[in-house]
Amino acid sequence: MKEIIVVEDLSYTYADGKHKIEALVGLNLKISKGEVFGFIGPNGAGKTTTIKLLLGILSPVDGELTIFGRPPSETQVRKSIGYMPETADYYRYLTPVELLNMYGGIFGISKGLLRERVKYLLDLTGLAQDGSRLMRTFSKGMMQKVSFAQALINDPDLLIFDEPTGGLDPVSRKKMREVIQQLRGQGKTVFFSSHELSEVELISDRIGLLNRGRLLAVGTSKELLGGKVDSQSLENYFLNMIEAKV
Amino acid sequence: MRAVFAIVSAMMRELIRKKDVYVLFIFLIVLLTILACQNFFQIEGISRYVRDFGYTAVMFFSFIIAVTFTARQIPAEIEARTIYPLLAKPLSRYTLIFSKFCGGAVVSVLCFILFFTVYGLFCFFGVEGVDPVLFVQGLIFGILCLCLVSALVVFLSTFMTLSANVTVSFLLFMLINGFSGPLRNTVLLTRGIASSAAGVVYYLLPHFDFYDLRIRITHAWDPLPMWLIFSVTAYTVFYCFMLLFFAGAIFRRKRL
Repeated sequence: MKEIIVVEDLSYTYADGKHKIEALVGLNLKISKGEVFGFIGPNGAGKTTTIKLLLGILSPVDGELTIFGRPPSETQVRKSIGYMPETADYYRYLTPVELLNMYGGIFGISKGLLRERVKYLLDLTGLAQDGSRLMRTFSKGMMQKVSFAQALINDPDLLIFDEPTGGLDPVSRKKMREVIQQLRGQGKTVFFSSHELSEVELISDRIGLLNRGRLLAVGTSKELLGGKVDSQSLENYFLNMIEAKV
Repeated sequence: MRAVFAIVSAMMRELIRKKDVYVLFIFLIVLLTILACQNFFQIEGISRYVRDFGYTAVMFFSFIIAVTFTARQIPAEIEARTIYPLLAKPLSRYTLIFSKFCGGAVVSVLCFILFFTVYGLFCFFGVEGVDPVLFVQGLIFGILCLCLVSALVVFLSTFMTLSANVTVSFLLFMLINGFSGPLRNTVLLTRGIASSAAGVVYYLLPHFDFYDLRIRITHAWDPLPMWLIFSVTAYTVFYCFMLLFFAGAIFRRKRL
């Protein structure tokens, strides 16, 4: 199967004055086309750093990283990527339609296609009624939906989500899970980080467990749990693995 | 260019919806009306006073918009974390810097044109007229000045906080307008280290004083020769290019 993301011996260090913090140490990962990959780990494990490296926002200190066979620092690579950040306080003086038009403009999407795409995404995220309302009146959950919509504006082949369901109510969470599964059905590759273990288990083909910058385990939930698959087991597995390394 | 246009459009919406400009616009009209009304008393030379004060107010208000609006762009993107979805798009950091410059320049120039038009109406109809050619030159120089201010503020915003950026920009503007003459005299009339040091400072700092047509408009002097306008335009283009180049280089290395 074609590999979309290839990470080899990837390391990243943050310098804090004289101290150096190893955010990632020798990360190796291969993610294939059409795969939904869930990235779990405690706070400060290096999940967001990995995502920033995948997006070319940070440059690796060591190791190699390619997306679609090219380094993510190339702007053209990012034409096929959709990214949803963990939190973003989108421009409150804009409406969702204006925001999506701005991002669509950055991708160079033609006006006609953009109009259709914006309408489709507002329907998909349940924001059709609020498309022309200024975002300063939006709740955190609504902002999260806007964030989800903007990640899909270019109909990307690779989606990178950082905590996609944070701040969403149970109904919206379910809807988002369904959309992610729909995207998998369309052959899209999804890489997402989350603290919601039950969710990761529900939608991921494979799971990666990261702690203190090191990848502790990768595999399907069955492989990780040795046959037993339920949310309690994954939580126990997660806690055992993390506590064993502390 | 679509990316630049998309970001500039969003910045223009910000200007319209944040309403800062309306406050300054109303304040300017009130100020000019009060000044123009003084003429009813037929005080000799009051028209010069109106032109002088009006020009200063127009430039200062436009400068306020250029600095405060442009300075908050990059820090606000970082604080709101909208910088990440932006940089995850096919947009280089240089393009982002250039877009923010264009947005700041367009917004402040539009405000300046609005303010200057009101000022022009007061000059032409309220009090003694000014040569229209000189008026147009004042408009061109104001536009060039605001482009330079926007480039400087974008450059400073790549490594300064919002408040530091605004303070430094205001100080530079005041100092250069106030001390450019004495500095030039130091360069020309002294010798040795003092002259060299003053020379470095004089040629390195952006010369906002080049764009100041206040005295010329106040006293209704002759318009400037064309070669001077071209020279100042070339100076602005060169200076903006250098500032944006360094801003891009710094921002490219910035860890976000």
